[in-house]
Amino acid sequence: MIATLLDIVTSAAILYAVAAGLLIVFGVMKIINFAHGGFLTIGGYSALAVTKLGWNPWASLVFATGIGFVAGMIIERLVVKPLYSRPLDAILATWGLGIIIGQLITIAFGREVQFVQSPMSGAIEFAGASYSSYRLVLVLAATVIGVGIAALLQKTRLGLVTRAVIMNEDLARGLGINSGLVRFFTFSLGAALASLAGALITPLSSVDPNMGVPWLVNAFMLVLVSGVSFMSLLVATVVFGGAQVLVSTYVSPVLGGLTIVVAAAVLMRVRPQGFSRE
Amino acid sequence: MIRRLKRSVLALAVCLAVPAAMAADPVRIGIPVGLSGANSVVAPSVVQSAELAAEEINAKGGILGRPIVLEVADDGSGAAGAQKAFDSLLFQKKVDTLISMETSAARNAGLPIVSRGKKPYIYTSLYEGRSCNKYLYCNAPVPEQMVAPIVDQFMKKFGAKTFFLVGSDYAFGRGMLKFTREYIEKNGGKVVGDEYAPMDATDWTAIISKMRSSAPDAIVMSTAGGAPNVTLTKQFKAAGLKAHIGNLSVDEGTAKSMGADAEGTYITASYLTTLDSPKAKEFMAAMQKKFGANLKTPNDLSVPQYDAIYLYKAAVEKAGSFDSDAIIKALAEVSFDGPRGKVQMSKQRHAPLNMYLGQVQKDGSVKVIETFNNVDPGEQCPNLK
Repeated sequence: MIATLLDIVTSAAILYAVAAGLLIVFGVMKIINFAHGGFLTIGGYSALAVTKLGWNPWASLVFATGIGFVAGMIIERLVVKPLYSRPLDAILATWGLGIIIGQLITIAFGREVQFVQSPMSGAIEFAGASYSSYRLVLVLAATVIGVGIAALLQKTRLGLVTRAVIMNEDLARGLGINSGLVRFFTFSLGAALASLAGALITPLSSVDPNMGVPWLVNAFMLVLVSGVSFMSLLVATVVFGGAQVLVSTYVSPVLGGLTIVVAAAVLMRVRPQGFSRE
Repeated sequence: MIRRLKRSVLALAVCLAVPAAMAADPVRIGIPVGLSGANSVVAPSVVQSAELAAEEINAKGGILGRPIVLEVADDGSGAAGAQKAFDSLLFQKKVDTLISMETSAARNAGLPIVSRGKKPYIYTSLYEGRSCNKYLYCNAPVPEQMVAPIVDQFMKKFGAKTFFLVGSDYAFGRGMLKFTREYIEKNGGKVVGDEYAPMDATDWTAIISKMRSSAPDAIVMSTAGGAPNVTLTKQFKAAGLKAHIGNLSVDEGTAKSMGADAEGTYITASYLTTLDSPKAKEFMAAMQKKFGANLKTPNDLSVPQYDAIYLYKAAVEKAGSFDSDAIIKALAEVSFDGPRGKVQMSKQRHAPLNMYLGQVQKDGSVKVIETFNNVDPGEQCPNLK
């Protein structure tokens, strides 16, 4: 029982870490960034690079975030910015971008599945059950990400400006806010978060050039039902992550893999605004 | 225009005049293999084995005077990629035979294409058994040769009574574990869990939870070879569960890449690097010489590939031609004395093999616990003549 509960919490934490970057880009730009899976992959391979260089595995978190941020900055300037007035084309462009990232990684690292050294292994006793210590660390990481984003949005000047752009971009621009700069920053931040998430999940599994795709689909569904609120994203990850764990545990892991997609589709049919309050 | 016509006529004449040179045309061996996806962890070792066999044979004059050329194609470790790979190898590259280690999903998807292409196909991966096709031979272990040593070790030596089975959700995982379940139940053991995750699954959380709640004495794993094996083993290790572990799909190369996480796992194999027969040592030395620091650990998925190319050579030489029907008939009759001992695919398209029960050590090497000589593959394809 405790173990199942921990499974739900840790799964929700992983989903939250993966979806947060997608949500922030969606909030500001009103586009789903389909290159999110690509940035996640970049993070996974950053962690692989750290392993290959023989650095401390924990360094991969900082390294991946930095690489993701820089990649985001470059891509925003070169690809996304020229398409701001054409949101549909921008979505298409990010989709293509995801494919390009996958191919570049294949050229650089090869197409085979590879493994990253885990920063910690083994299990610890937690609330009477022995449980994977790294998964518990993920909960901590997701909390830090969540609190960090909340603090950024609520407590800083940049956050204030960003919230203004999220609410009404035209009005914000009318008030002298440089919305282009806000977009530049959020896209890079979104990429950095995706890359960090990629580095966080790889010690549990493996890296390959297409590792981002299944995560992208789930993150996309979670963002759809969350609107642009990080609170509703939290609710969505707990509810859907929980559903996924329960279906996998009590029905079948094969169906468990479909749970989030199906549940999101059903929810959107019943309650079009999803978990957001409006 | 006229000049061009003249030139083409000339070219045609040249073409017609070269059948004499055709004799030195290479023998093309198609190797569809999982360079991406689950098998990508072992595929490079398979290609290396094939390269050594081709080099050795070419150095001694090839097959019936024709040098071997390898055509490697990525099957993506799955059905969709295999269809493309088989199709392009058979109909565009015009290979003379297919010899490869692949997932069962890829093999099953490729077989109808092989039937159309009418070329011999030697499958070199251990698998769930009972794949029968006019053009298909297999020189690697099947459940009849693999399951008993592990289950017997757990039940008779360790007194294990309850088993949990976990595998990838496709022909191999299900077929292998169905056989395992029957064998356990026949011997009075009890299967307390039987779970499958998708072939490309990387998250084993739910299944590990079930293992925890059913607390089995022993766990038998049978995932797709390579990546899923590693993720399952890592996550199992991280979960801190205690049970005897048997793995029907882990090879020594993959065990190496898992390092300490696989320590203690029992495996059965027809080849292990620690074998000390002269042929095995000779093979290992040749591999080390050819690939040096780039050598991928030879293993039970890659060595049959080496054997199979020699078996094909022997069959062609016995048939005296490259006629498919004649080669297929000859494949059952020829044998090759290689790193795994003498291998002959004489039992309904399958081969009796020397099998080893091994245990993975901390450094990823495998220690031989017990040897079983000349284990019969049992009834595999009784309806194929």
